[in-house]
Amino acid sequence: MEQTQINSSKVFLNKIRTFFSKPQNVILLLFGTVLTFTTIAPIVAIVQDTFKVHPGTIDAFLTGRADGYSPVNYVDLFTSPLAKTNLWSPVLNTVLLAVLTCLIAILFGGVMAFLVTRTNMKCRKYLSSIFIFPYIMPQWTLAVVWQHLFYSNQITGTSNGLLASLFGILAPKWWCVGLFPSAVVLGLHYAPFAYIMIGGIFRNMDANLEEAATILDTPKWKIMFRVTLPMVKPAILSTILLVFGSAMGSYPVPHYLGLTTLSTKYVSLNSKYTGEASILAIIMMIFGILILGMNQLSLKSRKSYTTVTGKSGQISKINLGKVGKHVIAIVLIFLTFITSIFPIISFAIETFLPNPGDYSFLYNHDASMLTTKWWISRNNADSAMYGQHGILFNKTIWHAFGGTMLVAVICALVAGTIGTLIGYAVSKNRRSKWANYVNNMAFLPYLMPSLAVGAAYFILFSNDKINLFNTYALLIIVGTVKYIPFASRSALNSMLQLSGEIEEAAIIQDIPWVKRMVNIIIPIQKSSIISGFLLPFMTCLRELSLFLLLCTQGFILSTTLDYFDEMGLYAFSSAINLILIVTILIFNTLINKITGASLDEGIGG
Amino acid sequence: MKKRVLSMLLAATMAVTTLVGCGSSTSDTKTAAENGEAVEEAEDDAYLSETEKIIKEAEGMTLEELAQKAIEESNGKTFYGVGNSSRGKTALPLFIEYLQSIDPSYSMEYDWQQPKNNKIFEQLTADSLKPEGTFAMTLIQDGNQIESKMVQTGILDTYIPKEWAEANGTTPDEVDGYLSLQTLNKVFMYNCTGSKEYDNCWDFVAEGEHALFMDIDSEVVGKNFLYMLTEDKYAAQLKTAYDALSADEKKYFDPVIKEMEPEAASLGLGENGKYALAWIKLWVGSYNEQTDDGPICNTLVSDSATDQSGLLVYSKLRSVEESAGVSVNNIKVAAYQDGYTGMGGFGYCHYLFVTDNSPLPWTACAFIAYMTTTEDGFSAWGKDMGGYSSNPEVAKAIETTYGHSKGGYDEEGNNVFDCKNDRGYDWWTTDGGLVLEDPEYCSSVSFTVGSWIELLTKYADAAEEE
Repeated sequence: MEQTQINSSKVFLNKIRTFFSKPQNVILLLFGTVLTFTTIAPIVAIVQDTFKVHPGTIDAFLTGRADGYSPVNYVDLFTSPLAKTNLWSPVLNTVLLAVLTCLIAILFGGVMAFLVTRTNMKCRKYLSSIFIFPYIMPQWTLAVVWQHLFYSNQITGTSNGLLASLFGILAPKWWCVGLFPSAVVLGLHYAPFAYIMIGGIFRNMDANLEEAATILDTPKWKIMFRVTLPMVKPAILSTILLVFGSAMGSYPVPHYLGLTTLSTKYVSLNSKYTGEASILAIIMMIFGILILGMNQLSLKSRKSYTTVTGKSGQISKINLGKVGKHVIAIVLIFLTFITSIFPIISFAIETFLPNPGDYSFLYNHDASMLTTKWWISRNNADSAMYGQHGILFNKTIWHAFGGTMLVAVICALVAGTIGTLIGYAVSKNRRSKWANYVNNMAFLPYLMPSLAVGAAYFILFSNDKINLFNTYALLIIVGTVKYIPFASRSALNSMLQLSGEIEEAAIIQDIPWVKRMVNIIIPIQKSSIISGFLLPFMTCLRELSLFLLLCTQGFILSTTLDYFDEMGLYAFSSAINLILIVTILIFNTLINKITGASLDEGIGG
Repeated sequence: MKKRVLSMLLAATMAVTTLVGCGSSTSDTKTAAENGEAVEEAEDDAYLSETEKIIKEAEGMTLEELAQKAIEESNGKTFYGVGNSSRGKTALPLFIEYLQSIDPSYSMEYDWQQPKNNKIFEQLTADSLKPEGTFAMTLIQDGNQIESKMVQTGILDTYIPKEWAEANGTTPDEVDGYLSLQTLNKVFMYNCTGSKEYDNCWDFVAEGEHALFMDIDSEVVGKNFLYMLTEDKYAAQLKTAYDALSADEKKYFDPVIKEMEPEAASLGLGENGKYALAWIKLWVGSYNEQTDDGPICNTLVSDSATDQSGLLVYSKLRSVEESAGVSVNNIKVAAYQDGYTGMGGFGYCHYLFVTDNSPLPWTACAFIAYMTTTEDGFSAWGKDMGGYSSNPEVAKAIETTYGHSKGGYDEEGNNVFDCKNDRGYDWWTTDGGLVLEDPEYCSSVSFTVGSWIELLTKYADAAEEE
């Protein structure tokens, strides 16, 4: 009897030893536990906040108490006469915005991807590089450019924008404010997602299927709808997955373009309806969880798309004709000029205008009105400097730049490393439920709207035990949790392509795990892994919605940029945009030169 | 701990009473009364927080005495402040210089934060949860939220500098309310490149008007402006302005005023409440919301903003640079125009508080005293028009130094930019018809008038629904 007990405990110990001897199990156990906390704890904190009575807010007024717990926030939000204004309209606007953004991103990005990869259109390389620029720039900068372009005294009740000033063109109101411009701006911002994902499939897809259809004399439109599009369906679903949640959680674009969404409502309700604002954050999170569920379903259904048998070296390119290949290229060069080059030129010009938005030098044809004061003024008491030093000597901007670099570098390193390890471990245990759980837990924060994640972390880390508001530690924690999916997805996809035999051969040779990773696996999948580091870095540089509630302006560059934009000091915000774009391009080029990996190869994993 | 201190104090007071019990009968009565007061005071003191005790002591000290305490407390340390105004960052180095003029070896690092979007309240609430906070003091606006979220909850403590009280002809004990650093005014302005005239505050809510204004949900102090309009004094001001309108002009407003009559009664407002509610309803339904006063100013001074109007911080005009398309002379301040009737704008305060868990309470008190009792201390704000020190002596000195009343004059003495000639606090609060924020009133109507305002359809929302 005793012997049996000893044996069974030995077996158990052996099982544990065997379990822990596999690095992927250790990784999954460790990060499964950590990610459960980092994902669930903020959700619990924000749920708790919805029941909490906040002094000086509606719940305190309705309950007549200054503290304690009550369901009154739910009752008031869903049943008060303000329910339509505070809840249902923002929900509807948010869903419409997310859907339209997905549509625009997929249409614009998808068509671009098709033209670049599957046709003989001219200037493909240039267009491919320039197309990702709107993603590099903070999303609301396009919104500000939109305002500068289309606003007019007659329609929007402001001063005239460029089109009204120079050509007397008055854009209608629906074009200037509300759902349409918000969706277009966000759609343009996220189109590179669709471009990279759909383009990746177009580039690698087996052309045999299309050729077979052609041989069978199938009409071209039928080939497109029955063969080509079904093959890119998984990429379209992935784009929806990534863009829907991001568009939902966008605060600055609807804020600048006058659309009331859950995010903007959260911010405006937060002072007087604190608990109800937290409910809005929960609603946004629920959408994130629903998207995750849809992703699971789509993954299951994707099994039926495994008709793509492997890479075909013979990707057929559609001939657009002698005129067509030039005309389409010119149209796209013009479009990308508007979306990618014009904003940069506009930012540069803005830093030389005498007053914010004062383009009078253009219609007076007098360049002497331009000034360098915004760059070189050393005295913040100078008139017309709004109490600020010139950009080159502005400590606030450079301090924020330092802060941003710190957060972005650490987030990229930590999120990249953790994500890569998770991707590796999940690929090794792909049939394990725990691995699937860890994978989903890592992905969930990405699907949750940024503002809601920020709100949840603000509540979690604002207590008497831990108070991290306005610290780099908090931004790094939140940024890491939010951006792990970039690396985990990227790593998982690439690791799944990697045959297990390669590592097994090394295991047989008794090569330690670290050495296997450093000398075999990482070098083989270098490109994908580096993009898993590069994307958190780049996204962190211009992230606002996530960090908006977690720090003050002047702490990092995006909050400083937003501050200057809100204050109408466009010279400073434009300069910050230029600084961000140059920084990202320098890093992208450096990494491209050193490793051969680049941004447009890895967006979206 | 508090109970032990209280019982010891009571025991000591009783012992003293017993010991002095051998005097005359009249002095007995007097002593008993004094002792009673002393007991009450001791009881009150026993419930004070450490910071409140320091504040009580500080209120009896001069700036120089406080400076000495600050030097002892904060030499070599870092001072964290948070405020709605970025100028705290400019005032702090001047304060350090002042302390160094007393002790040249003194040094202090500083960090000044300026949160936006109402975040200051969340930040201070979060910081108050720590046993010792990060922020030593704050400069904060929105009396309504300060009252309900900061003062009633004991997060912030009021400190009244002795010399500030004296300058206002009172003592710290007699001051009831918060310490204000300055009053800022938001004034009605309009672009005058066209022919439109605004000679009555009702003109800003007339048919087809869409004045530019910071969204009341973004800058909550804007709500206080609307709350204040329902107070009897300002409602009467609106009625007077309404009476001055022509019969034609009244036609547009009459149905709304009539519609507001039962609303005013149900909200418990005075006899002129309906005028206030009508103006508020029309304003909320018509103002063109902007992210900040900066963009409003940029728009109004442009030559293309013909006939546009706005309600914005007066001092924004300071930074406009003249160009072919932009000029300060493209706008007019409504209240400065002859024959203008009704309110000219809204005045709200920047208040100063010591945090109840302040890590450097003496230094916070000294800094507050420095800003409110010296010209140098206020200079960070005083150099611009439209901000009026709460200390009459400082306000006078600032006017002597900066001459804001002739801020629009050039060096040759020509009146170049009339709208930049600030007529001063006294004029604005009388002839200028400035509506002044009263935190207590705002707090009292926040969930009555406030909730009613939230039910109104904003112009921006109506546009969305279209």
